[in-house]
Amino acid sequence: MSQTTLAPPETGTPEPPAPAKRKYPWYVIKPREGERVKAFLEAFAAILRYSNYKPALDQYSRSSMKCSSCTTNCPVYATTHDPRDIPCYRSGLLLKTYRRHFTVGGWFAAKVSGDPGLTEAEIDEMADVFYRCTACKRCTLECPLGIDHGLLTHLGRWILSELRIVPKGLEISVIEQLHGETGNTSAIPAHALKDTLEFLEEELLEMFGIPMHYPVDEPDREFVFFPAVSDYLLEPETLMGNLAVIHAAGDAGNWTIGTGYFDGINYGLFYSDHVLERTIAKLVGEVARLRGRKALIGECGHASRSAKEFVPVFGGDLTVPVVNIMEYTLRQIEAGKIVLDPNIITEKVTYHDPCNIARSGWIIDQPRKIIRAFCPNFVEMEPHGRNNLCCGGGGGTVSVDEIHEFRMSVAGRMKADQMRATGAKYVIAPCANCKKQLKELIEYHKLDTKLVGLHDLILKAIVIPGAKSPAERAAAERGE
Amino acid sequence: MSEMVKVVNGVTLPLDEDGFLQEPDKWNEQVAEAFASDEGITALTPDHWKVVNYLRDYYLKNKIAPMVRRLCKETGFTVKQIYELFPSGPAKGACKLAGLPKPTGCV
Repeated sequence: MSQTTLAPPETGTPEPPAPAKRKYPWYVIKPREGERVKAFLEAFAAILRYSNYKPALDQYSRSSMKCSSCTTNCPVYATTHDPRDIPCYRSGLLLKTYRRHFTVGGWFAAKVSGDPGLTEAEIDEMADVFYRCTACKRCTLECPLGIDHGLLTHLGRWILSELRIVPKGLEISVIEQLHGETGNTSAIPAHALKDTLEFLEEELLEMFGIPMHYPVDEPDREFVFFPAVSDYLLEPETLMGNLAVIHAAGDAGNWTIGTGYFDGINYGLFYSDHVLERTIAKLVGEVARLRGRKALIGECGHASRSAKEFVPVFGGDLTVPVVNIMEYTLRQIEAGKIVLDPNIITEKVTYHDPCNIARSGWIIDQPRKIIRAFCPNFVEMEPHGRNNLCCGGGGGTVSVDEIHEFRMSVAGRMKADQMRATGAKYVIAPCANCKKQLKELIEYHKLDTKLVGLHDLILKAIVIPGAKSPAERAAAERGE
Repeated sequence: MSEMVKVVNGVTLPLDEDGFLQEPDKWNEQVAEAFASDEGITALTPDHWKVVNYLRDYYLKNKIAPMVRRLCKETGFTVKQIYELFPSGPAKGACKLAGLPKPTGCV
């Protein structure tokens, strides 16, 4: 792996008078100033040397990158019609650099034609366009040459991040996750986690009239649970729904939450394999510490995909199976262990497919089977499933406050139209990224709908023998 | 980043680029009042203080903001009432007034 530049900003070293600061489209903590071309090429060379991107780049860089079939599938380009938003134009910036500097033919052609090679202006352009892409990979469905533009966005961002050109919203969280005291992206201390779990247990007791517990640091359990850690700040109902399902399925003694590491989030998936690898190491390390046998990931698309795809890649001897909570819940329903009352959620509901779990075809039918088990009034958005539209905040862009307007009026515009067209009362989005973005879209576009997690609705409809019925709970919620 | 500051009673307090206090220990009631006028709150009522003090106490104990559900439960306000008190909402309004740092991650 190449040298990381992730360490917290240095302090104390006197700096020479700084040249005029470069402008980036978003706030950057401490990017490399001055001459960056050499650093970019060195980082690129190191990545090529210590990774297996080269064969893919060799193949991709032989294509013209001018067919533009991808334009038919990109929700950003469909909204802006700006050539810089064409996926193969964006990918072409990186491939052109690769061709000129890392292939013999490209190097020779550059010499003959007098091409000066990579320029500062091209680095600025990459910093701009790679974060106008939400890495939703919808373009890959239409590319006749099989180019994975999402992968190239990721690689481009990785090289930029080695120059510390990375949005603060992502970097600050990763610094806390990998170097900070709390070790997670939302900086939640373990004692605060326990306090929150106790609060949720009290809420559940009040709701159901029976005690349910979040097991903490229990060794030798089948599942170690990793939701997006932000759920512990923002999504009480999702977390309570998770516990209610596990409790009702009779698995109360088969899972645990570890206080050593309890964050499913892995921003490395968005911008750096180096961060990706180190975050995976934390996850498998915690499962091993507790002698757990599987990683159970909560409602989060990128957390699920990063674990599913990269625990086997970077997990080494500690590799464990990865299960998404919706896969788990469906299994319990199909085994007859979970009963959901079909008379509680009678309003129209729709389902948003998070790109990270749907584009590969991994999780598409499972949530729909769960929804159909208790929501009689389910409607689909069009398109959906593998061909879904991104929420507009994918690829980490949702954490970049500076591009809020872009996410609302460009990247998420088609999604807002899609949600509106269903007329649904509830939009279900089982992903922390999508939840944040879609809530903001609903507010921005003044949509008459409510954004929920799948387990939020399950919490309302689940029937637990000996506990208050869903109808009783609904009445209590209405204050009757 | 360092250009953004708030001066309260002659004390200069650095803010982050979103206007949150960078050093939460420097908070005092005058700071809350100074933030309030930026938020378009003309005067801090006992209801405002109930929310701000709860957030402040919770933060000092847990080093993190509470869930909104918990804030509502403990203060007795509905989410709608919190928004009426703090037009920018619980996180960008109330937490900022209470001197909490900006939350990070997917929040």
